[in-house]
Amino acid sequence: MTSEPHLLPEPAPADAALHVTGLRSGYGRGGDIVCGIDLAQRPESIIAVIGPNGSGKSTFVKTIAGLLPARAGRVRVTGRDVTGLSPANRVAAGLAYVPQEANVFGTLTIRENLKLATEFLRGRAGVGPEQRARVLALFPELAARPGTLAGNLSGGQRQMLAFACALLANPEVLLLDEPSAGLSPKIVSETMEAIARVRAAGVTVLLVEQNVSAALRIADEVVVLVAGALRLRAPAGDVKPADLAGLFFGRAA
Amino acid sequence: MAAQLLLNGLVTGLLLALPALALTLIFGILKFANFAVGSMLTLGAYAGYVGNVVLGWPLAAAAALAAATGALACLLSDALVFERLRERGSITLLVASMGVSLVIENICRFTFGNAALSFDIAPARPIRWQGIRINHEQIVTAAAVVVILILLHILLTASPLGRAMRAVADNPALAAVRGIERRTVARITWALTGAVLGGAGVLAGLDRAIDPLMGWNYQIPIFAAAILGGLGSPVGAVAGALMIGVAEEMSALILPTNYRQVVSFAVILVLLLFRTNGLFGAKAVRK
Repeated sequence: MTSEPHLLPEPAPADAALHVTGLRSGYGRGGDIVCGIDLAQRPESIIAVIGPNGSGKSTFVKTIAGLLPARAGRVRVTGRDVTGLSPANRVAAGLAYVPQEANVFGTLTIRENLKLATEFLRGRAGVGPEQRARVLALFPELAARPGTLAGNLSGGQRQMLAFACALLANPEVLLLDEPSAGLSPKIVSETMEAIARVRAAGVTVLLVEQNVSAALRIADEVVVLVAGALRLRAPAGDVKPADLAGLFFGRAA
Repeated sequence: MAAQLLLNGLVTGLLLALPALALTLIFGILKFANFAVGSMLTLGAYAGYVGNVVLGWPLAAAAALAAATGALACLLSDALVFERLRERGSITLLVASMGVSLVIENICRFTFGNAALSFDIAPARPIRWQGIRINHEQIVTAAAVVVILILLHILLTASPLGRAMRAVADNPALAAVRGIERRTVARITWALTGAVLGGAGVLAGLDRAIDPLMGWNYQIPIFAAAILGGLGSPVGAVAGALMIGVAEEMSALILPTNYRQVVSFAVILVLLLFRTNGLFGAKAVRK
């Protein structure tokens, strides 16, 4: 090990925006992919979840979002236990999720995608015209051509639409699964800037990223996931991409 | 002659449009080709017969009864068969729908017998215009289908329910995150398509005699229309139905009329060889 896990004092569970305890999950009858993760995230911070391919990053966020049932453990959002809730009810509880791929309805227009973002959500507070105006102000390029099919947008524009749809539900916590996947470097930095704006608007962001250097630029903290377990938690400024190689590839220093 | 065939073809196409649309909507949401569309038409025709002849209702009321019967039959077949097999994949569902088709056909046979039946409507003199003969039944069919298509178009493109249906067809996992339950949308789609098929069955009963096998006459043209338009594309299904209807009738110019079903088979064959997505289909049909 190059370094012992450098643990920051975690926020007490009562004021954590997102609090995950003992989370385990996997697919079908297979073994655990996520093997007991504890994570508490302070409000309005960005935590980057990084790790090698197949370390369980996507499975981890999917389980938090409720698309995959947890085999054990709890998920709390601003103190409220959401573990038993459906994905949509988690959104209504303030936990929005942007999947890695197919994160907009490609056969529907921008306007329809934005409508569907909140149309069928029950009981989310703060969803209304003011929230709509605030969100669209963050992504002015979307308002310009509402009749365009989402499937005809470029990768970067599609990502903006996906963020906007998630934010329309007025979330406390936003889960992002590899927003940089498949984007050109210039668009990646625009996407990261958009995530920073989202946080500045008061949203807590859990960011799963393959692109470590891009994630480090905007994250407050970094957690490293290896084989379904957290191996390191450190302030983003203390982490050098070069240091991570040992952790990623399991070399003991 | 050609103008007469064109008119007949357009009306036949409109008659095919409703079941082709039902087939394509179910395919979009549930991802399988429902082979029971033909037998649902038969069931609708018999339900219309009960309303119109047994109970003595006017045809419009009988059509409403047929629509309700079709909706109920689709919901029942979903609850008893399709939902239980959902995880088994589209081929299993297709084969199961053949079974459902046989069950419905034989329920009709046991209840009403094999004899050909027809509705009790006053014969009306056909309208003649520019040498073209237009039947009363053709006017009823064309008007009813156009009204239903307009209503369905508004429902699909401009209502929250239509958005939800298209969202589930596009991406069920994302729809779930947005609070749209696939299960609820699937049930509504079954009821809607069942009602459309039941109503279309009454129109089919105006077109030809009602017997337990009548749906089979439409089965291949319906599939040809939906595949031609691109399975999953509602606009494509209607356009495909009109093209198949016109092509079948116009074939009388070059083929003996009892060979007209060849047209639909040929269309399916050519599409499967050269253009599996159909004319309007954006997505490839796999599995």
